[in-house]
Amino acid sequence: MSAGAKSWAFSLPTIASLIIKSGLKVYAVQRPELPLLSLHLIIPCGAEADPPGKAGLSNLLAEMLTLGTKKRSASQLAAEVDGLGATLSASSVWNSTSLHIFGLSEDFEHLMNLLLEIYFQPAFPPEEFEQLKQRRIAALVQQKDESQIIADERFQEILFRETPYDHPVYGTLDSLPPLLCEECREFYQRYILPAGSFLVVVGDLQAEPCFRWVEANFPSGIQGQSLGAGEFSAPSRSGVRSILIDRPDLTQSQIRLGHIGIPHAHPDYLPFEVMNYILGAGGFSSRLMQKIRSELGYTYGIRGSLEPRKHAGPFTISTFTPTETTYSCVQEIFSVIRSFMTHGATHQEREEAIHFLTGSYPMKFETLSQVAQRILQVELHGLGLEYLTIYPDRVSTITLEEMARSARMHLHPEEMLIVVVGRAEKFRRQFEQLGPVEMMA
Amino acid sequence: MTVVRSSASIGKSEVRGLPEFIEHRLANGLRVLVGEVHSLPVVSYQVHFAAGSRYERPGITGITHLFEHMMFKGTKELGPEEFSRIIQANGGTLNAFTTTDNTSYYENLPAAKLELAVRLEADRLENLRLTPESLEPEREVVRSERKLRSVNSPFGLLIEQLFALAYEQHPYRWPVIGWDPDLRNLTLEDCREYYRVHYSPPNAVVVVVGDVAADEVLRTVEKYYGHMASQPLPRLTIPKEKSQRGEKRAIFKKVSQVAAFFAAFHVPGITHPDLIPLQILCAVLSAGRSSRFFEKFEKPGKAVEVRAEMGYPPFFTMDPGLLQIYAIASPSISLDTLEREVWEEVEILGQELLSPEELLKVKKQSRSYFLQSLETMFFKGLLAGLYQVRAGDFRLLHTILPSYEAVNPDDVTRVARKYLRPENRTVVSLQPVSQREHEELGEVE
Repeated sequence: MSAGAKSWAFSLPTIASLIIKSGLKVYAVQRPELPLLSLHLIIPCGAEADPPGKAGLSNLLAEMLTLGTKKRSASQLAAEVDGLGATLSASSVWNSTSLHIFGLSEDFEHLMNLLLEIYFQPAFPPEEFEQLKQRRIAALVQQKDESQIIADERFQEILFRETPYDHPVYGTLDSLPPLLCEECREFYQRYILPAGSFLVVVGDLQAEPCFRWVEANFPSGIQGQSLGAGEFSAPSRSGVRSILIDRPDLTQSQIRLGHIGIPHAHPDYLPFEVMNYILGAGGFSSRLMQKIRSELGYTYGIRGSLEPRKHAGPFTISTFTPTETTYSCVQEIFSVIRSFMTHGATHQEREEAIHFLTGSYPMKFETLSQVAQRILQVELHGLGLEYLTIYPDRVSTITLEEMARSARMHLHPEEMLIVVVGRAEKFRRQFEQLGPVEMMA
Repeated sequence: MTVVRSSASIGKSEVRGLPEFIEHRLANGLRVLVGEVHSLPVVSYQVHFAAGSRYERPGITGITHLFEHMMFKGTKELGPEEFSRIIQANGGTLNAFTTTDNTSYYENLPAAKLELAVRLEADRLENLRLTPESLEPEREVVRSERKLRSVNSPFGLLIEQLFALAYEQHPYRWPVIGWDPDLRNLTLEDCREYYRVHYSPPNAVVVVVGDVAADEVLRTVEKYYGHMASQPLPRLTIPKEKSQRGEKRAIFKKVSQVAAFFAAFHVPGITHPDLIPLQILCAVLSAGRSSRFFEKFEKPGKAVEVRAEMGYPPFFTMDPGLLQIYAIASPSISLDTLEREVWEEVEILGQELLSPEELLKVKKQSRSYFLQSLETMFFKGLLAGLYQVRAGDFRLLHTILPSYEAVNPDDVTRVARKYLRPENRTVVSLQPVSQREHEELGEVE
């Protein structure tokens, strides 16, 4: 089968950028197909800066920005945003905090003014803080019923123990109650608009008027403390170990299995991406899906993913299977990984992976938020805008040898952390054959 | 060849980003809709069948969805899952979904690869290979999917119970994924029969949206589907649901951290003019942080979540559907109190007219959300395909935005009084129990 000519031969949307007098970098991308606008103010400081014992502080702060300004109460602000048919969200992830407004392009100035007001004039009303905290706590209580979320969070928490990534970005039922509104305000003042912050505007708007408006209206002379290099040292490896979280009411187990991967800017990231398409990320083209779903019928879905982060993110194989097949499923996953590492990918698999990653590349620029996401990822992870242009060509040159090397260097079946949420007593003894087992409630 | 332009009967679409669809019917009855959009060199190829769980009968519930899975298991030429592998190897993404009213297959891929998608979709419409070896693992895959979506999800079984109680006769009373005993018993012969009856050219709509030339697309579709024989449309009698004449209630007990209730009101099907005012009503109650439910329940921490929803275009149901209102209680409030307060809030809609400002707000929200949904080729295609399958006319998609604009405060009050009556209401409450009680109640499946 031939996948034909370079199906990725498409032009990236023009990404204009400017550093305004205040030092802020602004990206603008014109997309005139629909009368819409997506605005993103990105602060390069996120949950990694949560002080010890204060998990969830930066995320709480992000949402507090949207709950009242010096000009408007939370209700007035919500009415203003909804009245424009817009959506407003603020959240922090590991390496960044983002303030996002999506609305109609006819309201550009109104939306931009709101964005500035929300970020630069937050009021931190104490009553809003207490209500928000109670909402977050109630949501965390409810999440204890979601076995997928429990599996994801426990996996990352244990994998990154004793690093800045060892807590859920939303905080925990222990960390949230004692947090104070004043701590939010102090966190905000310390890290307000640090070096490396930037603005992304995508939509039905020309770049030049956008730049002019931002230059004329963006406050200058504000710069908070930078987080610093924040060197990340991965915890030492400790062999295969299993954490079984007992949920006797479940009939199906949620399984997470993996280890710490490599940073997005690592030179082996792209060979790993192509290799992992074949192993676990390529849907029905992946080895894991072929074996675990199509051949064995153990699950509806299985996927291996390497999360792109500034520092090394998790490499995770995620699936679920009925209680009875839980251990067999994990054994088969190991078997697929080891076989893949021994025999490597075939020429055909390499070709197909490359054609998928390059051919589907234009679809990663279809919506305004996707375009913004591409820009903020390369900016935050230090890849440079040119990464977006060279990606298809670079991917197409990756060889079988590079992929094999990447698998040897960065896949570690002998160091897997396994987290299972399910009827632990039914398969505990089986898992003991793999290494130490820890039971958790 | 008869070609009809979508806007011919109702005036040209004013909406930027919504293409003008061209319609063509092959001699065998296959309907083709093509929308040219040249913003990116990609195309969405979709085949929508008038096959959903509404066409099933007791004993074979879930066959529509299981059969959707079987469509990936190979043809006379292709091995199992080879369809997916080939599309992906050509830069495409693909999937399928089954609902109460339609089963839809799609490939989003580089525009230059369109013919490949047409050829492969036509091949599996004609030459699907159904074998016991492919059915058995797929049956277990679907049972695993059922466990994921229903049995082990916090509210999945509760919602199944809600539909089973609200409907007494219509097939919407069983879940799209089917009941587990039926999934265990479905046979290869059931699958063959389903394929024979429902998978035919006149029972399908092909939609193509993207960087293509319409005349070339029509030639390609003709090339791969033109030789297929027509066949009569399935003759099925779908039982009509009778009017509900009093509130129905049930309790569902399971291990849970929270108490909750899920309620449903019968509302009309997709072509009825009351649906848009009802959608506006849902937005008044729960769209955004200035909505009534957020202000009254979520903001002060009485509830984790309170929502009113009944789908959005094009996902309104073909036959009379359900407007759902659900609330997940915070530990600080009893479920009875929360439910009483929610109904008090809903009653206000039937008693007091919306202010012009509030109506203006929800109209702008509805317009903005609709425009946002048009960002992808895929969704543009869904709009046309599902309006054709569910409402019988894809041109209705052009009426959505004008319909939002036409809603006035009286419409909202009227539909609130007409549909959100206690007599038309079904409520299922989630009552948390201990693990021991949970086990005493028997295994869930």
